[in-house]
Amino acid sequence: MNVAIETANLTRDFGKFRAVDELNLRVEAGRFYGFLGPNGAGKSTTIKMLTGLLAPSRGSIRILGEDTGDPKRALEVKRRIGVVPENLALFDNLTAREYLTFIGRMYLLPRDTVRARAEELLAMMELAHEEKKLTMEFSHGMKKKLALAAALIPNPDLLFLDEPFEGVDAVASRVLRDTLKQCVGRGATVFLTSHILEIVEKLCTDVGIIAHGKLVHQGTMEELHRDGSLEDKFLAVVGNGENETQKLSWLE
Amino acid sequence: MNQEQLKTILWLRWRLMRNQWSRRGSLGAVLAVLISFGAITLAVGCFTAALLGAAFGLGDAKPVVIMGVWFGATAVFLFFWLIGLITELQRSETIDLQKLMHLPVALGQLFVVNYLVSHFTLSIIVMVPVMLGLAIGMIFARGAEMALMIPLALSMVVMITAWTYCLRGWLASMMSNPRRRRTVIMCISLSFILLAQGPNLYFNVFSRHAAFNQKAASGEERKHRRDAVEVTSPQSFDNLIAAQGFIPPFWVSVGAQGLAERNVLPALYGTLGCLCLATLGLRRAYRSTVRFYLGETGNKNSVHSKSADSAVKTVRAPIQSGNRFLEWQLPVVPEQSAALALATFRSLLRAPEVKMALGSSMISLLFVGAMIFLRSPPTLSDMTKPFIATGVETFSTFILVQFFANQFGFDRDGFRSLILSPAERRLILLGKNLAILPIGLGFGSILLALVSVWLHLPPLAVVAALFQLITLLLIASIGGNLLSILMPFRIQPGTMKPTKMPGLAMFVMILCQFLLPIAMAPAFAPPLLAWLWHRADLPAFVPVNLICSALLCGGLVLIYWQALTPLGRLLQRREAKILGVVTVEVE
Repeated sequence: MNVAIETANLTRDFGKFRAVDELNLRVEAGRFYGFLGPNGAGKSTTIKMLTGLLAPSRGSIRILGEDTGDPKRALEVKRRIGVVPENLALFDNLTAREYLTFIGRMYLLPRDTVRARAEELLAMMELAHEEKKLTMEFSHGMKKKLALAAALIPNPDLLFLDEPFEGVDAVASRVLRDTLKQCVGRGATVFLTSHILEIVEKLCTDVGIIAHGKLVHQGTMEELHRDGSLEDKFLAVVGNGENETQKLSWLE
Repeated sequence: MNQEQLKTILWLRWRLMRNQWSRRGSLGAVLAVLISFGAITLAVGCFTAALLGAAFGLGDAKPVVIMGVWFGATAVFLFFWLIGLITELQRSETIDLQKLMHLPVALGQLFVVNYLVSHFTLSIIVMVPVMLGLAIGMIFARGAEMALMIPLALSMVVMITAWTYCLRGWLASMMSNPRRRRTVIMCISLSFILLAQGPNLYFNVFSRHAAFNQKAASGEERKHRRDAVEVTSPQSFDNLIAAQGFIPPFWVSVGAQGLAERNVLPALYGTLGCLCLATLGLRRAYRSTVRFYLGETGNKNSVHSKSADSAVKTVRAPIQSGNRFLEWQLPVVPEQSAALALATFRSLLRAPEVKMALGSSMISLLFVGAMIFLRSPPTLSDMTKPFIATGVETFSTFILVQFFANQFGFDRDGFRSLILSPAERRLILLGKNLAILPIGLGFGSILLALVSVWLHLPPLAVVAALFQLITLLLIASIGGNLLSILMPFRIQPGTMKPTKMPGLAMFVMILCQFLLPIAMAPAFAPPLLAWLWHRADLPAFVPVNLICSALLCGGLVLIYWQALTPLGRLLQRREAKILGVVTVEVE
């Protein structure tokens, strides 16, 4: 089976702090991969390195079979991926439709395709009636939906989504889940980070758990379910027993 | 609010300020200490100078002189206060009441603390000691009744700060919408620039124009005009003095004049009036603050639009013709560069901070243009006129340096989509340059048209100047691309204020401002060669300026095109670093 994402000893240091430590990740193509971890574990740093938003301190990354360390290959990879980064990537002074048009053209899509896809995505994300609003006037949820639409517009082979469901309403969340399933159904790979274990459990076929910058678990959801629920596994590999039992003395 | 809470809020204010400075690195910290030390020294120095000046210089001065001194002090205070106000409006972080409202502190108390804290500004730290020094000096020089100037001046300061606070509250409610916020800041800043340019316009343009006309007029006419001026001048002065009585801040100078004439009533009335107005301003500010935090801003649009939105939720909006702008195809230009150029151009023209910068540049252009047209054209030979045209084009390019030299600073989070895009980086640079091109060509062409009419430039010289304009824009693009990659800095939304700008970047930017004219010197080569050709008595029919300008322009196009590839590679190598600078994300 083809490998969509493969990292070898991927490391990122910020000064003396090691955010990601010798990460060896392997995601097969056509899988729905959930990347989990507690706050500050290194999820966003990893996704930034995988998408080229942050240079690794050490190690290598292969995306869709290409080495992203080679600048030319990195651009080729970017043609085939869609990304919703943690802090989004919107231009404040463009409308939603203008932003999608811009992104579509940057991916060299034909004009009619861009127009048709933008129209569909705006309707799907319920942004079509916000025609005159600039993205700076959008709520966080609306911005997130627009970023998702932008990631989907080139119909990528690989989608990186950093907390895609955070701040998105229930209706859009359902639409998004269905869309992502559809993407995986046609052979694309989805790599997402989320804090919501239930969503990951429902959607993902594979899961990786990171803690303190190290990959502490990687495997399929089926394997994981043999030993219990995702939550049990998560707490077992990341949870701190002391925290669980700790009580606040003044509340007693 | 008890004393502990008050201390905590003052600590918060201090901490916010300190953190803001410390974010700029060690150089920023040193600058902060120097500025603080400088402000205190300046305050003490100004107080002493004002005291001594008043005590020894104003003892025997006429009441009208006393009035003039206080008028000046008040005007200077107002000027600096206004600058401070604009800076304050552009700053995003003050103590936001909304962030404290969930704490066990009353809104009224927070309001008073915030109002009192708003007095810690440079204009008050420097100008209040000046006024106090003046007042105390005059007590020594002219008698005890001058002590009334102290409450009068302080009440004027309180009145100004109270109404400013009221204005800030009103603007804050208006600016709750980020788009409107940026527009408000833009309008205020532009109004301030226009206001500040008023005296310049009057003295440099209209007065000189009048003097020029007078020079041109006949002897009898000149005498008639002089007589008219002599009659109207004292009247104008009296009117000016009388007008002060109707402008509350200048009740200070009216009061000072009254006290100098041993009449205490104007000072007493002035103090009372200022205090009444201050109370009124504070009351109004408090009410509007309460209304704002209760959500009673009177803006029903948001409620209306929400209900309307839900009604049309399922209806697909038709594509408006304006939206097609981003779909335009630019001839010859690669698709990705065209997309980026159009998106950046539209984005730039919508950004109030850019409108503000372009507006102020346009005002400068208008003033320069007015000064040119209202003066007689110099008597220059046809060989020297092209130098002026080139100089004007250099000026028009120079005022756009802030856009050329920081192309990614305005993108902010949008820069992330450039990194994620599969476009070759040289095409990104090309797109960015093309976005500024219409602005550069527009400004240059306007100035060139003005100069052509004014100097009666020969048509060939105009065409040559157009080539030089393109040459200059290309030079600015190459240099700007390099600087944008090596020394990027983030521009705060809604302002032209750089943030996260390291000391080195600031130094390099200042250095480049000085060096840019040298980099643009090649544009002067064609008129220089034409002049040398003429001096050497070579055939006059050869349009040397035009030929050289066209060749230079062609050469620069080639150099620009060749430079794009290595600069693109450099951009790709440094794009993650640039992202860290132009976005607010903190790792």
